[in-house]
Formats: sequence, structure tokens, C-alpha cells
Amino acid sequence: MKRFISSALAHGLGWQLIGTLLGAGLITGIRALMGLSVTDRFFFTEPAWVLGGFIGAISFLFGSGVTSDWMKWARGIDTPEHHEDHHSGWEKYVNVSLDHKVIGIQYTIVALALISIGGLFALIFRTELAASQLQFLTTDMKLFGQNGPQLYNTLMSLHGMIMIVSILLGISGIINYVVPLLLGAQDMAFPRLNAFSFWIAVPGAVLLLSSLFLGGFDTGWTGYPPLSARAPVGMQMFFLGVFVAGWSSILGALNVIVTVLRMRAKGMTAMRMPIFVWAAIATSLIALTATQFIGLSFQLVMFQRLFGMGFFDPAKGGNPVLFQHLFWFYSHPAVYVFILPGLGVISELLPVFVRKPLFGYRWIAMSSLGIALVGFVVWAHHMFTSGMNEYLRVPFMYSTLLVAIPTGVKFFSWVATIWNGKITTPTPMLFVLGGIVVFLMGGLSGPPNAIVSTDLHLHDTYFIVGHFHDTIFGGFVFPFFAALYYWFPKATGRRMNETLGKLHFWLMTPAFFVLTFGMMYIGLLGMRRRIVDYDPALGIDSTHLVLTIAGYLIGLSVVIFIYNFFNSIKNGEKAEGNVWNSRSPEWQVPSPMPVHNYDQPFEVISEPYDYGLEGGSPYVKFSEPESGKHQ
Amino acid sequence: MSHTQTKSAAYGQGVVVFIYLAVLTALEYFVAVTFNAVSILVVVAVIKAALVMYYFMHIYKLNEASDGDEHSYDYKTGTNRIGLWLFLLSDAFVFAGLLTARINLLGLTRPHLNQTLGLAVTAVLLISSFFMNRGETAMAHGDRKGFMNNTLITFVLGLGFLLGVVLVEWRLAAEEGLTASFGNPAVGPMGAVFYMMTGMHAFHVLTGLIFLLVVWNNARKGVYSEEKHWGVEAAAVYWHFVDLVWIFFYPALYLIGKLVN
Repeated sequence: MKRFISSALAHGLGWQLIGTLLGAGLITGIRALMGLSVTDRFFFTEPAWVLGGFIGAISFLFGSGVTSDWMKWARGIDTPEHHEDHHSGWEKYVNVSLDHKVIGIQYTIVALALISIGGLFALIFRTELAASQLQFLTTDMKLFGQNGPQLYNTLMSLHGMIMIVSILLGISGIINYVVPLLLGAQDMAFPRLNAFSFWIAVPGAVLLLSSLFLGGFDTGWTGYPPLSARAPVGMQMFFLGVFVAGWSSILGALNVIVTVLRMRAKGMTAMRMPIFVWAAIATSLIALTATQFIGLSFQLVMFQRLFGMGFFDPAKGGNPVLFQHLFWFYSHPAVYVFILPGLGVISELLPVFVRKPLFGYRWIAMSSLGIALVGFVVWAHHMFTSGMNEYLRVPFMYSTLLVAIPTGVKFFSWVATIWNGKITTPTPMLFVLGGIVVFLMGGLSGPPNAIVSTDLHLHDTYFIVGHFHDTIFGGFVFPFFAALYYWFPKATGRRMNETLGKLHFWLMTPAFFVLTFGMMYIGLLGMRRRIVDYDPALGIDSTHLVLTIAGYLIGLSVVIFIYNFFNSIKNGEKAEGNVWNSRSPEWQVPSPMPVHNYDQPFEVISEPYDYGLEGGSPYVKFSEPESGKHQ
Repeated sequence: MSHTQTKSAAYGQGVVVFIYLAVLTALEYFVAVTFNAVSILVVVAVIKAALVMYYFMHIYKLNEASDGDEHSYDYKTGTNRIGLWLFLLSDAFVFAGLLTARINLLGLTRPHLNQTLGLAVTAVLLISSFFMNRGETAMAHGDRKGFMNNTLITFVLGLGFLLGVVLVEWRLAAEEGLTASFGNPAVGPMGAVFYMMTGMHAFHVLTGLIFLLVVWNNARKGVYSEEKHWGVEAAAVYWHFVDLVWIFFYPALYLIGKLVN
């Protein structure tokens, strides 16, 4: 406990609290001097909460010490290139480390924590939906200043955004851990910025969660004005949390691109990079640029609320549809941010487990970039019913359908890779295959939403909910689990339990199919999204009950996974060598990975995925250790 | 570090580029007050941006090979340069978003603003960019004193721009009825857009000024040399970026479209 209190995490959180109180106190003091009201429903007034939240986030960063080297640089003091970690065991992960492997694990743990919280919220409102009428989220109940249906709205909205943040952290976790290893780099290009990108996400997550206790909000994760312009103060905390967490995504992406451009091993030309690196680049290009638009759109609503600026207020001549354009310019490409690394994981692992070369490497590499680029010009397909100019509908319909081409390239390649392969199915491979099938379902349910004539009926129904859960599970959740099972031995030197892993898969996958197909089914029957209750006359009570049970089964499978994950760190079967018989460089050295990665640099001498070829050369060749050189 | 230019040639180039930029700005203003053709204003802004990016921000340095030892200062500077430009690219999206909002909400109309003041602050920022370029050139040739003097001038001009916008222009805008009162932008989209665009830009000017102070102070301590002055280069490129944004914001707020209100 003592060691936790002295950790960077505890310091940061303490300073965040102090900073919040100071910032809020400052505004309250100014308001008192100006003769304005100083308290409100949630003690402080809204401007006080906003400035407090902002100062709190900054205080976290200074308090945790992640900025201390930069402060030294600003004063002209040099700091050493590489810090040795002074901590061991779990303490490494609650303190500031510049090691990309530690940061990758930090990201992953926070992502798992947020996935659990978001999943818990889902189970709460899924339980309420199990039958029509209000069960326990009734109008009589009161919690955190919200009645039942209001709480439902808050939980449903937070489920969305918490899962999004957890996905962003999850992909950052995998990318951070894996990309420098695949490139043969010692670390990321900017290790301090890397640590900063992780640590800034923590106060962001705290702010996001704090919205639950400050009146919540009822807009869904999209935060559309005019509703978001008059929701309780929790709305502001939500905006602020996303804004802060967005910086994590932007700066992390910047780091990835520079690392790939500058730190590749000798001989690793663009077309000999591991395929996952291409996916990381594509996803980073979107995150680097488009994220600013969601930050800006949320900022504009914040300012509209704080200062009465009439950006989106029709009464003042503003335009609410503008918000939707700005918002979706990020939030649609964002789904490609989520899925591209996942699809990269699939392409990366598939050849290992079918013992065949990856089919059409160049096409896969280019299709990642293609998805990223096309993703920038499809955003208005979320707005077919918004009242935007009608002539925009058809071009956006076609650009959306265009996404199917680069995605189809990937499917074609995966099928051709599996074709005639010697397939083995340890847990990571199960999740890879599961991801492919689930993502296919997501892809097939996509065109009805892209086509204007059908979307006008499907918009805002559970069909959409089913569709995007398919894409996100197939594109992120399954590959994420695959990656965790696959690289777990690399990080810990132990394997996760196979039996529990298979149980996890065989519990989650069927339950998930029931869940999403059920969602699409009731959506077609008229079930609306984001609503606490539905008409018993729709006749979908029994389906809803089944969906709720399926939801609980998925929850159970994740609990099994988390138990397996943490238990295997200590008690897993030892696995120090090349467990999967992979050609990739990180598996050619012992596990867990040494602190500064490779003792000897390697050179790329062949293609990355030439599995199962007779007389093939290895992918990389390590240089001989120089005799007498101290390691 | 090898020089492709002597110091006086680099100074001379700065003067020529500055003259081009000044003439183009004057042209912009002339076009706006006479026949107000948006297309010409856009073209002029793009040319000005290209000049600033090439001659002041040295975008071509991204391409300069810095192979060799991965631990050398030059190699790391090459890496840092890519990082900085990616950051600017990301930041540019904020301003692009604001321009989108401006076009969506105001279309081909513009607020009633003080033209003289607008041209004056624009000129001040442009001149500050000229001195910033001179300062960086001085440091690249090992002239610490020259760097510090030029940076100080840049700082003073930058501060002048900031105060001109925030204290003078915002007050005048309030008097014009663009906002409810000074410091209270509670009105329609015209005031909202004006405050947001100038405010976001002013915030970047402020961070740029802090950055300038930091490198000036470090130069005073003798941290930088002819070979090693990445901090100076970064501060200069960031400062020019702030100018670059204004190259688009100035016509967007002051010049294009029909005057209303």
C-alpha cells in the first residue's frame, strides 16, 4: 500500500483532485466577486467544474512526473537518453516508464479495466431491457441525481464512449508493445512522448467516468446538440474527458508513424515490413489528423454552453447539422482506427497458424491504406436522415460502398492464405478465425445501412447496433484477444491456459452471434436504439430476454479471460522460446523480452511470411555478437 | 552541419521572400476592397503559404537524407523534424475545422471588422516571421547574439499581434455589435466564429511566444551551437506555422465575401 501511495499513478490522481478543486475554486471565487451564483446542483457551477476538470487533468500530468524531463529541457538541462527502471514487478506499471513494452502493457491493462467497466454498464441496461416496462431503472429510483431512465441514458451513453476509449487504448497497447519489436527498434522514436500519450489517457478516463456522478447526460456517445447543449453538467465532463483522451490517440499515432519511418532494421524495405506495421501506419494516419475534428466539435459545444456562442443554436442562427459533419469526420474514420490494427493482427497471425505464405502481401498492405483514405470521405452516411442537403446523399452512399473493395481484398487474401494450409487451432488462431467470420457478418450487414433507401428505415434502430457490434467485435475484440493470447508468452515468459482460453472462445462466440443477430432481428421489427423501454405489442420481449442472457454469457467469458490473464502471469506454463514457431524477429530471442529489446541488431534477408516453403531462408538474420563486447 | 548558403545570402533570401509576401498581402487587400474575387484571394493565400513553408519553414529539409549513425545528433534532428511536421499537420486540422465551420455558418458573408487594424496586425505578424527567419539563420551560422536580438524583436512583434487582436480587436468587435460585450461572445454564429477563430489562433500565438522565451533563455545560457540547435529550429518552424494559419484566417475573416451587419 505504501509503495502504491508513492507511485506516479497515486501522485497523479492526488494532484488531479487538488487541481480540480483549485480550478473550480478559482472560478467560484471570481464568480463570487462578480456577484454571480457560486453553487449549483452539484456543488460547483458548470464553468467551475469545466475549468476544474481541465486544470485537474493538467495537474495529473505534472503530478505524475511524466513531464519532468521536458521541464528540464525547457530550462536547458539535458537528460539521459535511456532511463533504467527503478521499479520491479507490479510497481513498474503504476510508475512512469519510458520502455515501450511497459507502456504497451500499461495501455492494455487500462483498456481491460475500461472494457470491464463499459461491459458492466452494458449488462446493467441490458438487464433492464430483458422485458418491456421499467423493471428496476424506474422513475421513482434516484442515484447520482438521476432517476432510472436518466441513469439508463447515462449508462448507455457512457458504455459507448468508454468502450471507444478502451479500444483506442487497446490498439495503442498492442501497437506499442509489438511495433518496435517487429521493426527491430530499441524503443519508440519519442519515448517521453510515448509515456505522455499513455498517462494523459488516465485523467481523460477519470473525467469521462466522473460524468456519471455529475448528473450524467442523455445524448448517447455522439453528444449531438441541441440536446447536448442543455444536458446536465456531466455532459461537459464527457466532452472534456474525450478531448483529453483524444490527445493520447493523436500523440501516440504521431509516435508510431515516426518510429516506422525512422527506426526500421537494416534491409526492412516498405514491402518487407511485417504486415501489422502497415496496419499501424494506416490507423495512425487517421488518428493523427481526424481526431482533431471530434476534439473541435466537442470544444465548440462546450463553448456554446459556457459562453453562449451560437455555433449550433438555431435560435441564434447556428447550425446543428454542422456539428454532425465535424463529429462524423472523425467518428466515422475512427471505426477504421479501431479495426485496422485488428485486421492487421489477423493478417499477421494467420500465416503462422496455417504454415503458408500470406497471400498477396502488397495488396493487403495497400488495402489498409485504401481503407484509411476512403474512410475520410464517407462520414455523411451517418446523416442521411439529419436533414443535410439531399444532393450529398448519393455520393456518400457510393463512397461508403467503395469501402467494400479494400476490405474485400483482405478477405480474399485471408481465404487464399487458409486455402490448403496446415491449420492448427490454438487459442490465438481460434480468435483469428472467429474475428474473420464475425467481421464478415459485420461487413455483410453494412451495405443495407449504406444504401440511402434502406438506411432511411434502418437508421436509429437496433439493426445498426447489431451491425456495428459485429464490425467492432470482428475488427477489434476478437483480434485483440488473439493478440493477447499470442504475445502473452513474449511479455511474460509464460503461456495463458489453453483450456480456459478455448472455454473463453467457445462461450463468447456463439453468445455473440445470438446477441448481434438478435439485435438486427428486433431492429428490423422496429426496436429503436438508445431507449429504456419498448412496446410489449412489438412482440420482442422473448428475444430481448435471449439477448440479455447472451450478454451475460459474453460477460462471463470475459471474466474467465481476465482470470486466466492475471493467473497465468504467475502460474502459467513456462514458454521461453519460439512458442508458435513464428518467423517474426521477436520470437527468435528468449522470452520475456530483455529490457532494451534485441542484444544484437538484425538484418532482414527475406520475405516475412514465407512459411512452409522448402529451403526457404529465415526472415531475419542476427549479427554475430562481437567478442569481448559487454552486454 | 554543412551550409548551402553563406549567412549574408541567407539573410538576402529572407528579405526577398519577405518582399514577395508583403506585396502579395497588399495585393490581397487591394483585391478585397476593389472587386472581391474569392478565387484570387484563395490563390494568393496558397502562394503565400507555399512561400512560407518552403523558405521560412524549410519543408524540404524533411527530405534531406540523414542516414548514418542512428545515435548522431543529425539523425535525431531528422527524426524530430518529422515528428514536428506531423504535429503541425494534426494541428492544421483544428484550423481546417474552424474554417469549415466558418464557411458553413457564414458562407460568402463576413463580419464588420476594422480593416486598418486587420491589415496592421497581419503586417506585424508577417514582419515577426521575417525576424524569426533571420534569427534562425543567425543561429545556424553560429551567431548567438544575432539570434537573440532577432528573436527578441520577433517576440515583441508577436506580443504586439496578440494584444492587438485580444485587447483592441475584440473590444472593437464588441463595439460593432459582433458580440454582446467585450469578453462576452454570447451572440449568433458571426461573433462565435470570429471569437473562436481569433481565439484559437491567439492561443497558438501565446504558446509560440512561450516557446520563443524558452529558446531565447536557453540561447542566453549557451545551450545551442551552430551544429546543435534543434530547439531553435523547432521554435522557428512553430512560429512560422502560426503565421501560416493567419495567412488563411486573415482573408477568411476580413476579406472574402459580402459585408453584413
